[in-house]
Amino acid sequence: MRVLEGRLTMITIVDVRDAISRIQHQVQQTADDLCARDGQLGDGDLGITLEKAFNRLAEIGPTLPEDLGKAFAAAAAAVSKVSSSSFGTLLATGLLAAAKRSIGKTELHSTAVPDLLRAACQKMSERGSASLGDKTVLDAIDAAARALDSHPKDSVSAVITAVDETLSLFRDRQCKIGRARIFSDRSIGLDDPGMVAFRVMVGALKSS
Amino acid sequence: MKKLLNDPAAYADETLAGLCCAHPEFYRLSPESPRVVVRPDSPVQGRVGIVTGGGSGHLPVFTGYVGRGLLNACAIGDVFASPSADEMAIAMRAANGGAGVLRLYGNYGGDIMNFEMAGEMVELEDITSSTVKVADDVASASTAERAKRRGVAGMVYAFKIAGAAAEKGFDLDKVTRVAQKAADNARSIGVALSPCIVPKAGKPTFTLQENEMEIGMGIHGEPGVRRSELKPANVVADEMLDAILSDGAVKGGDRVSVLVNSLGATPLEELYILFARVADRLDKLGAQIVMPLVGRYATSMEMTGASLTVLILDPELEELLRAPAECAFWKVG
Repeated sequence: MRVLEGRLTMITIVDVRDAISRIQHQVQQTADDLCARDGQLGDGDLGITLEKAFNRLAEIGPTLPEDLGKAFAAAAAAVSKVSSSSFGTLLATGLLAAAKRSIGKTELHSTAVPDLLRAACQKMSERGSASLGDKTVLDAIDAAARALDSHPKDSVSAVITAVDETLSLFRDRQCKIGRARIFSDRSIGLDDPGMVAFRVMVGALKSS
Repeated sequence: MKKLLNDPAAYADETLAGLCCAHPEFYRLSPESPRVVVRPDSPVQGRVGIVTGGGSGHLPVFTGYVGRGLLNACAIGDVFASPSADEMAIAMRAANGGAGVLRLYGNYGGDIMNFEMAGEMVELEDITSSTVKVADDVASASTAERAKRRGVAGMVYAFKIAGAAAEKGFDLDKVTRVAQKAADNARSIGVALSPCIVPKAGKPTFTLQENEMEIGMGIHGEPGVRRSELKPANVVADEMLDAILSDGAVKGGDRVSVLVNSLGATPLEELYILFARVADRLDKLGAQIVMPLVGRYATSMEMTGASLTVLILDPELEELLRAPAECAFWKVG
């Protein structure tokens, strides 16, 4: 991705639209796999949830306002409208947290991204009653924020590496929250589907 | 499944369309969502707006209580499912007359998550809001854990009292305070005799044998506190009233309102049989019943059974309860 690849720069609505369209494309390729992974531990709708969310975001992309706060808020509303499943609600929650931090800004410095991720992570944690270490998407987001702190340049690659490491780190642990908790023994050896979904999203941002 | 419907997936939408078509003086669909019902005169400038939201399948709860002296707007989900945060935000905007909006709804996880998010969405547009969650079902958690209780028929009283407070021009803090007081003073418990069927599921949400009843069952078929053989109405009324009184005592001289509510299929006749016993018991305690309600106020589609709600009044709540209000299902004054 132009903005995050290789240099410090400013993020505008153009970059957000670009990110949405890249992620939408990638999510379409991986939706079945995400559903299958989710089906081993949950209700098996994660891929569909993400596909619905990003298809809708791609539809409204051209109409998103330049004010990034308003754009993130509109994105949160759109996601919540097409998917009231738990991951859809969490994604909307994260976007809304980012919206609050960005209201009135048409540009964000790329170094502000870790703060947005942490704000999103915090709010998602409250809303989903999950903590870091529970083997959820929060652990992947937190790892991404830390990677951005230490690698402000070449950031997408650093984030991908960090998320991959987090997936490995948690693979043999038990899920501690959500429906997967009921099958916590079965979750050992399996990647958390929410983390995999986040990996798909950040993977889509890497320039091919 | 034996239901009068066209398509299970369209159940909620077609219900709301019919409701608004039948009673345009009380309800209109938001131009922004077929799942948001708004009072035709809302927002009222300078007045606090009252919004609620929840799943379909409980009429007159939730949408039915949109009306003068009641709610301004309501977001509706599929049967027994939360509406989205976006729909709740649309309802909040439609209720906002510049004096803030009270989110007044039942204590259920999905609704809480979405209403909190809706509040954050409209906060970005400078709409101030507050929250009161109705948690009146004494069977769903102990007195010590009353904040975890489910919201059932008691929310009808909270809607009425909050709506009257807004109509009188109270500010958001005061409307919120009286709505919370109504929610705190309302206690309910239900009894189920037979289940209901969620249209998309196509089969009953639980099973009860022909001779069985379950005390304390929730309005979505959540498990109750005790399943037993079906007992005479007076024994059932006693069990329900005892559960309510042991949570919040009613003393001689207290003024209370009582709602004996059908969960859907139980006829008025049986509700009056229950009411007679409850009234007799309260009379013996020296309590005075004010504005009793007997009928279908908060249902669970075709579930057979009833719920009992007792609202302990003080002069402020009684005045607000008696204030004029009107919707298609309830008229006061």
